[in-house]
Amino acid sequence: MAMKRLSELGAGEGGRIVRVEADAAVQRRLLDMGLVRGEAVQVNRLAPLGDPMELVVKGYHLSLRRGESACIHIETEA
Amino acid sequence: MATVALAGNPNCGKTSLFNALTGAHQHVGNWPGVTVERRSGTFRQDGLAVEVVDLPGTYSLAARSEDERVATDFLASQEADVIVNVLDASNLERNLYLTTQLLELRKPVVFALNMMDDAVRDGWTLDVPTLSALLGGPVVVTVGNRGEGIEALKAAILAQVRGDDPSLDPAQWPPRVTYGDDVEGEIRRLAEEVRRDEVLTAHLPGRWWALRLLEGAPDALEEAGRSHAAQAIQAQLARSRAFLEAHLGAGVDTLLAERRYGFAHGLVREVGRREGHPARHLTDRLDAVLTGRFLGFPIFLIVMVAIYTLTFVVGKYPQDWVSAGMGWLHDTAAAHLPPGELTSLFVDGVIPGVGSVLVFLPSIMILMGCVSFLEDTGYMARAAFIMDRLMHLMGLHGKSFIPLIMGMGCNTPAIQATRTLEARSDRLITILVTPFMSCSARLPVYILLAGAFFRPLQGALAVVGMHLLGFAVAIVAGKVLRLTLFRRENAPFVMELPPYRLPVLKTTLLHMWEKATVFLRKAGTLIFAGATLIWFLSNYPGLADRDLAARHRAAEAAVRAQGLPEAEEKAKLEDLDLAHKGTIMNSSLAARFGKVLEPAFRPLFDPDHRRAEAWKDGVALTAGFLAKEIVVGTMAVVHQARAEGEDGAALSPLQQSLRDRSGLTPLTALAFMVFVLIYTPCLGTVGMIYKETRSLGWTLFSVGYGLGLGWVLAWITVAGGRLLGFA
Repeated sequence: MAMKRLSELGAGEGGRIVRVEADAAVQRRLLDMGLVRGEAVQVNRLAPLGDPMELVVKGYHLSLRRGESACIHIETEA
Repeated sequence: MATVALAGNPNCGKTSLFNALTGAHQHVGNWPGVTVERRSGTFRQDGLAVEVVDLPGTYSLAARSEDERVATDFLASQEADVIVNVLDASNLERNLYLTTQLLELRKPVVFALNMMDDAVRDGWTLDVPTLSALLGGPVVVTVGNRGEGIEALKAAILAQVRGDDPSLDPAQWPPRVTYGDDVEGEIRRLAEEVRRDEVLTAHLPGRWWALRLLEGAPDALEEAGRSHAAQAIQAQLARSRAFLEAHLGAGVDTLLAERRYGFAHGLVREVGRREGHPARHLTDRLDAVLTGRFLGFPIFLIVMVAIYTLTFVVGKYPQDWVSAGMGWLHDTAAAHLPPGELTSLFVDGVIPGVGSVLVFLPSIMILMGCVSFLEDTGYMARAAFIMDRLMHLMGLHGKSFIPLIMGMGCNTPAIQATRTLEARSDRLITILVTPFMSCSARLPVYILLAGAFFRPLQGALAVVGMHLLGFAVAIVAGKVLRLTLFRRENAPFVMELPPYRLPVLKTTLLHMWEKATVFLRKAGTLIFAGATLIWFLSNYPGLADRDLAARHRAAEAAVRAQGLPEAEEKAKLEDLDLAHKGTIMNSSLAARFGKVLEPAFRPLFDPDHRRAEAWKDGVALTAGFLAKEIVVGTMAVVHQARAEGEDGAALSPLQQSLRDRSGLTPLTALAFMVFVLIYTPCLGTVGMIYKETRSLGWTLFSVGYGLGLGWVLAWITVAGGRLLGFA
């Protein structure tokens, strides 16, 4: 188990959300999109210029900028 | 008439369901006070008329963005009698999150389980009767884009409107998320305080208020703050929050969202089963190419070139037909109406005014059709995904590329295309920087001046330079606006990448039609009024001068009496006409205005104060507010030299005249080009900015800062050039 920020993951890596820490508007948006504690997320791919990233969460695809994905703390298997 | 609100996530097929429900009986307007479109329509069944309102797609009712606030306000209002919650069956869990909030309103709800075909293809089996029982409302399976299940949906809506299905009455048996003992206790306490104010709970449950206050919804806090029980409510809210955060180790909004998603997750586990994992989804395979490292950008560029070509190259044909039609109308009216002021108003004011509105229609319809197509296929989100890094550097959003690229063709439809941006700050910044993109109407001005003052290679460089400068100004302005005026509006880039889907042609066509009518109603009136005003300014008082008109007619008669060969006579008459128009223009209100403006333009176009005709620049630029290419035509009139060159001549008479007599130098001509590039957007664009921002303040701001910036940059060009030794 290792604690990381979501923004540190590369394509194909994933983990489980431990907590989300962002200012109110961003936090609200992230929660509404299903990025809640305990949820499994996987990084599907990065945009050609490295940012934003494409995630799979709750079976759908979502893109986030690094600024926002850095607010999401996750634990990974490795 | 009963009113039904269609609510659901973005990309859940709500709009095609709306189209299937209401057919052609639609009306597009605006929600009061915001830039969000309000689409409503009606259907009639069993002698009952039902109004359907298509709410903006929203992921939650926690009310942060304009779209969400509009949807939430309408759902909570008394206007909405029945809610139709559209659910994307292939993405049920995330869609049910919104449902948990809708249920808390305790209004009659019908659930449309839409896109069932996609869900089946993904291997889902859904137990509809159980879902209906657990949600406490009728569930109708639909495939909106094929019109399947629409009759059943109408019947279910009518049953709710009539209230003749008591077993499904949500007030009788409200299924709801339970938030656990600790949270429920605080909800009860808070709801009790809210119930002290009968106004708040007259139409909405106390529990709804308590939940919204706990999760910190700004509009709920505001409304509760105005209540006579505000103190009691706020005191309880503070106590509840402190208690919950201390006991449960997370913010209340986090807790509520987790419980809601827990409920949605449990529901899906109860009613759904997924058979195996289908082989790699088509969307995934397409994405590997379309957003891939190697082909992502080339394909994006091809798509953009295709749209640009369709809009501005193919769109040129219908645009030319419009121009030809207006030209014919103009000539016919001019030939058949007696000369005079009224005729001039009609021929030179009204007809070109209508023309200046209609001329935008083809490109608006084509571009909006393309944008709607890109959105509906899902490619728009991918394009935003690969472009966001670059756009973010400019303080913009991934989706801002459409207005910026299309702005090189024409700013007016480009600004309408900012509609695809959801967040208000993203949209406003994009609207404010798009006019700096050098549109094709500015090209004739560059060509006129570059041709007159530069050698061919220099001239080409100057024209390319103008386009680059426009782009650079857009970048800097975007960044500066983001860091100053919009610093506090944080618009996170959290964007769903929906599966690729085939769009429905009817939806695209309806969208094009809608955009065209809204443009004509909202922006067209302003553009028409502006065009007529400019006609007035550039023709009065000279047009009303009878002596002048009499002299012009006498001169014409004298030419005709000479019995010259036809071609020569025609040329002479045209010269006379130009001279006459020039006389009117040069004594007009616009010319007086140009003279008033002259000192302001002096540092730019006449730094040594040697040009006798410098005031003519002001006239041309004032008229150019109508449309930037008009600068050329107006210069031809004020300098009384034709803009069209003779065959074989290197320079047109106007270019020759500018070079020999106007006193402009290559450096001041360059400053003139810079000014034309940056100064106020043209009238069509201003009309569109007003329509899209719904704000006179932002419209005036756009005009004002364009003027200021244009002046400063032109001044820098002149002052810098002189420092470097150019003249």
